[in-house]
Amino acid sequence: MKFKLSISLFIGSFAVIIFIFSAALIAIIDYRVTAKLDGVLWTVPAKLYSRPLELAENIEINIDNLVRELEMLSYIEVSNPERSGQFSLSKDNLQIFLRGYKDQRSGIFNISLGNQKIKRITNQLGLSEDLIKLEPIVIGGMYPAHMEDRVLLDWPEVPQILIETILAVEDQNFFNHYGISLKSISRAFLTNIKAGEVEQGGSTITQQLAKSLFFTSEQTIKRKVMEAIASLLIEFHYSKEEILLAYINDVFLAQSGRRAIHGFGLGAHHFFGTSIKNLDTDQIALLVGMLKGPSLYNPRRNPKNATKRRNLVLSVLKRNFNISDAEYENLTIKQLGISAPNYRTETKYPAFHDLVRLELQENFNERDLRTKGLAIETNVDPILQDALEVAIVKTKNQLINKYGTKLNDLEGAAIAVDISNGEVKAVVGSTRPSSYGFNRSINAIRPIGSLVKPFIYLTALDQYKDYNLTTILDDSRLSLSSGGIIWEPDNFDKKFHGNIPLHVALWQSYNIASARLGLELGFRSVETMFSKLGIKKQFQDYPSLFIGSFELSPYQAIQAYQTIAADGFYTPLRSIREIKDIKGEIEFSYPYSIEQRIRPEPVALLKFAMQQTFERGTARGYPSKTIESWSAGGKTGTSDDQRDSWFVGFAGETLVLVWLGFDDNRQTPLTGRTGAFQVWKNFIDDINPVFKQKTSLPRINYVWTDMNDGLLSGKRCKNSLLVPFIKGTEPNITPTVRRKCSNRKETSDGGFLERLKEAFEGGQG
Amino acid sequence: MKFLRLYITAVVSIFLFSCASNQTTRDISAYEVPVNDFSRTVELLIANEDFLETEIMRINALNPSVQRIILGADEFLKDKNYVKVNSELERALRLTKTEGALYLRIAHLRYKQGLLRESESFASRGLLLSNISSWERLLLNVYLKN
Repeated sequence: MKFKLSISLFIGSFAVIIFIFSAALIAIIDYRVTAKLDGVLWTVPAKLYSRPLELAENIEINIDNLVRELEMLSYIEVSNPERSGQFSLSKDNLQIFLRGYKDQRSGIFNISLGNQKIKRITNQLGLSEDLIKLEPIVIGGMYPAHMEDRVLLDWPEVPQILIETILAVEDQNFFNHYGISLKSISRAFLTNIKAGEVEQGGSTITQQLAKSLFFTSEQTIKRKVMEAIASLLIEFHYSKEEILLAYINDVFLAQSGRRAIHGFGLGAHHFFGTSIKNLDTDQIALLVGMLKGPSLYNPRRNPKNATKRRNLVLSVLKRNFNISDAEYENLTIKQLGISAPNYRTETKYPAFHDLVRLELQENFNERDLRTKGLAIETNVDPILQDALEVAIVKTKNQLINKYGTKLNDLEGAAIAVDISNGEVKAVVGSTRPSSYGFNRSINAIRPIGSLVKPFIYLTALDQYKDYNLTTILDDSRLSLSSGGIIWEPDNFDKKFHGNIPLHVALWQSYNIASARLGLELGFRSVETMFSKLGIKKQFQDYPSLFIGSFELSPYQAIQAYQTIAADGFYTPLRSIREIKDIKGEIEFSYPYSIEQRIRPEPVALLKFAMQQTFERGTARGYPSKTIESWSAGGKTGTSDDQRDSWFVGFAGETLVLVWLGFDDNRQTPLTGRTGAFQVWKNFIDDINPVFKQKTSLPRINYVWTDMNDGLLSGKRCKNSLLVPFIKGTEPNITPTVRRKCSNRKETSDGGFLERLKEAFEGGQG
Repeated sequence: MKFLRLYITAVVSIFLFSCASNQTTRDISAYEVPVNDFSRTVELLIANEDFLETEIMRINALNPSVQRIILGADEFLKDKNYVKVNSELERALRLTKTEGALYLRIAHLRYKQGLLRESESFASRGLLLSNISSWERLLLNVYLKN
């Protein structure tokens, strides 16, 4: 009796322990299920997008660059576009079958081109569409440690055919079971036996979801039991619609480098370069078919397997009357239509990423960036970015060919910005642009050499009652003593040039004249100008600062030049446009802001002098017509002992700054012209900027002056140049020797007899 | 011959006279700006924000594509959705930088946002355009008085 009681007690205790253990296990699983599926369903990394390219009627466009962008977006050139992601190009006509992006619908659009302009955009019906948008390129993301990536879909975005296909292939009894279905297992078994291959899986969608969310793929009884409990709990807590949507967003479809592609939303982008809503039935059948073996049926790696599997899924759809026999026949003969992968690696353009991260740090924490599914719309222009990367690599190779292997570890940085709105379009932080590491565009603080001179000359020109472009500067020996140290600046050509007009001193980049001018203006007024230009660095009162000992990073330097190129309007540079939340609403924006810091007239005078750098100075070589149409201007810079080679120049709407040098600060054989300018040139020649419309400055008056003495001259006089002045500041003395040639009427220009007469008389020399 | 010459002269004269008499004077009321009282209009523009906004919304872009974006931006402005207005105007500015209508609107937007210095700077920038009308120039000048 006692023994029986002990056994009963033991069994009772054991049962209680089992019960408590089971209850605890269920409670733990329940907690995990609800914790995972409630609130933030999955961690969705923030994604970085390039700017979307908008095409509008009557805007100027570089056709080659447009085609390049289409190719980057994996559009394929064909003779007659029939499917999204295809285009055709003839002499003056571009036809694109757009994939569609947000409010831009998919379809064929015809773009008439001519004279570097878009003349007309029409749709399939021949109706005018004045504005179309190409999808942006994904340039990377802020991935969590497990590197899962997805694009979350909500019900309105899920096509009906996707639901039908998933249910037909994965779980036909989905709406009738409670998470586990013996019926499904037996039906799948019979179907597969009949088909002679695995058409259907035995696990329900709920089981698959449970397995994917909480368990590893190990095949043990313990895992199967836990999976079954989790499935029942999921069914208990959530509706069928919620479970199906969770499944659609969670399934694993592919591995791209370290990045795991989850969900049909991202799957559509990854394999077809477009949203799920734009996919055809055969494309959806392919994605659903891949669930059985994402690697085995990967259409890029195993196209034959993928085609076979897709056709099998289509046959299931036909059998279930989701598609007709005729549709089935048409769909099974279609090509897979896979786009080339948009993602070169997890992250394109690492230097640009650094800049984006810097801007994000101020407003977002790391966790939000890795989990909240933010869409970060950046300003990167993939065409300019690629061109800048190519230019820096190409130039380095050219320099190695010229100067030898001592330049093997030459480093560099370059930045391109939109002059007017301060949008950063491209950033390169190394001569190996795709590698991660030290980003010289932001972090290399180097002496800027003669790049400092325009800041000093602008300080003078802003005092327009005292200085104009023909004010005579003194370029004779200068010797300053400070603390027992004598400072004697040299010119690059080791010569003294005496009295020269201000604009000549700038485009010839004479050091002594510049140092004297800086000293004359005073440190405080130059410091004020630095601050107006957007330089936030502390100023130190050394005279060597006036000829380039001042140190800045390329990013700081281009900010100052943006203010100059934009006619005195300071605009903080920005690499991000907007950040949208997972629902597509603007969460944060980086608006275009400007502040007029300097009057446009003195800046116009400075820009004229910088244009002379191209016409006759250290950046000469372009035809005058080109320089004029681009409204180009620039400045070379070379630091002491040629340790740094700089060039900054604007052409059209683009401002580009380039730095070349060694990380260990050793001497290079390069000047600003032979080094950095060559990168600029390679880049600009590649992108071929469009014409820039000039600004209207009624207070500016052009007068012929002499390039040696800065006094009045005439078009017919030798050594004369048409120079801009702020009205009322023009020189008013014409030397006797130039009276004759300067008095000749301009209207007589071009007359053969006039020129003959001129030749006989001889101009003033 | 003399009669024919007289006849032709009479016909031409009648035709010219009828053309002239058919001309109606330009209806300035359609524009609602009392152009005959210019200084009062300027005062009104400065003093009455609604009047100013109405006038600005009447300024169209030269490029139809840009005009399409502007119409959207104007709708957002009516709803006081300044973030979207800014987004649309910036979008248009990326297509072209030579439309006075855009600088006017963005100067007005910044004014509405209370960013008076920026408003003034955008107006100054718009004034540098060579293709703006006198009326656009006048409206831009209003923002310089902030």
